[in-house]
Amino acid sequence: MVVKQETKSMTGNDAASYAALYAKPEVIAAYPITPQTTIVENLSRYVDAGILDAEFIIVESEHSALAACMGAAWSGVRTFTATSSQGLLYMAENVFWSGYGRLPIIMPVVNRCLAPGWNIWPDFQDSMAFRDAGWIQMYTKNNQEVFDTVLQSFKITEDKEIALPSMPCLDGFVISHTTGQVDLPDAEDAYEFVGPYDDPIIEIDVDNPWAFGPMTGPDLYAKNRRDLMAAMERAKKKIVSVHKEFDERFGRSYGNGLVEPYGDDEADLTLVTLGTIGDESQEAIDRLKAEGHNVNALRVRTFRPFPFEDIIEFAKKNHKLAVIDRAVSFGHEGPLRIEVEAVLKRFNVDTEITGQIMGIGGEDVSYSKIIDYAKKELKE
Amino acid sequence: MIEIIQISRGGSGGVTGAKILAEAAMNEGLDSQAIPKYGSERRGAAVEAYIRFDTSPIRIHSPVYDPDHAMVLDSSLLDRIDISKVDKDGVIIINSKEVPEELKGTGRKVAYVDATGISQELGLVLSGFTLVNMTMLGAFVKGTDIISFENLEKAIIRYWGEKRAPKNVEAAKRAYEETKVVIA
Repeated sequence: MVVKQETKSMTGNDAASYAALYAKPEVIAAYPITPQTTIVENLSRYVDAGILDAEFIIVESEHSALAACMGAAWSGVRTFTATSSQGLLYMAENVFWSGYGRLPIIMPVVNRCLAPGWNIWPDFQDSMAFRDAGWIQMYTKNNQEVFDTVLQSFKITEDKEIALPSMPCLDGFVISHTTGQVDLPDAEDAYEFVGPYDDPIIEIDVDNPWAFGPMTGPDLYAKNRRDLMAAMERAKKKIVSVHKEFDERFGRSYGNGLVEPYGDDEADLTLVTLGTIGDESQEAIDRLKAEGHNVNALRVRTFRPFPFEDIIEFAKKNHKLAVIDRAVSFGHEGPLRIEVEAVLKRFNVDTEITGQIMGIGGEDVSYSKIIDYAKKELKE
Repeated sequence: MIEIIQISRGGSGGVTGAKILAEAAMNEGLDSQAIPKYGSERRGAAVEAYIRFDTSPIRIHSPVYDPDHAMVLDSSLLDRIDISKVDKDGVIIINSKEVPEELKGTGRKVAYVDATGISQELGLVLSGFTLVNMTMLGAFVKGTDIISFENLEKAIIRYWGEKRAPKNVEAAKRAYEETKVVIA
């Protein structure tokens, strides 16, 4: 049965803070400077007001913020931080360390573009730079999905069979600073869903000393990375099952948790998207269909692990994929297009593929721009 | 869907006002959205915000380009809004003692109130800036008749808390009572 929920008005950042509050992390570390987000600012208030019983560690840099989270994760407690843009870049060394070290940390990333050109608007260049860092990456389409995804992330990340840190991503500004409605469950119901982190993946025990991060020869190193690859594979199933369990309890779903299709199964053109462009695309699809065009959409919700099976299955039924990227791999294409195109080739699917880079530096991607783009692709 | 563009000066509380308006619409049972447009704006600079209400979930994340209504928190910013883009049956809600010259004879529906005067009388001034945001929400409710005053009041109280709410509710209420709606 779906639990009782209350609709509240809040920003996307607030939604992320609520999910964290309800999951009751024991350690939160943050460096309070722009472009840090109100996600941790809210949490510091909850701790100060005694609503959240957590150790809030104010450190001297973003690099140290994640280092503090790594220490906390090793000590076997639920650990949370959040970052954005330049802050994420400053963390870089530790982002890879915690991913490759399989540390269960939850860190929402507010997607904002990178300098130079100081700009606080959204694109995915920041999180895309960490595609290969061994973190689960899920991209959200609205404030509600931010709450839902952050809450789900704890359950996915802290599973012993998974043990991968999670980076729920939210479009800077367009979600982070925009007020919208979120159906919030009671704190108790949300916590019951996540459950306590009482059987930690790893736990420092002074009576039973271990070496952390020792010199590792090629054999063991390669085995560790193969284990990470296998964990990413398992994470797909886990994301689906946690998403299903969430749906049963709270009555909300986003496709199967990995991809969210929209519209008919088969169409002349399929828009493939990430983040809020996926939401805006649904609006575009409805309007295009009203004009008699046969279009549908597939929003990739989980980018790492990459749900190629679901993408292939959808692509097979369709004729042409038009991938909209909000990031660029300079010297090549948008990262989503590169990956979708690669799996089409790999599985000998002859669905046509094309792509467009849109929304860089927060350039507006309105449904009318998406409609124009779709019409252009329908003609070609 | 109802789309609103709001223009204010940084420091006068426009972004907060937009948030509270979105919550008031939620209280009315609508899905709503408030998008602030930040940049390098500082106190005194023109700041835009966009608000949407709808009976079904809003999937649009873009700024508002063709508003149904326009809210102008500082009458000197009226020229920053392309009135021709505002729906012809929409309302221009403006902080002004009278119908601004630019709007006279346009046939536009104008809701005007001396929000600055009301806010100053109530002491809603911070660091030299008159906070006209709550006052103008009262004018919006009166001018457009989409949201009840009770639902606006509820949102104001929720945002400001019991202690700080009374002055803000009073500002909205006075504007609600004093706003004149005319065809210019």
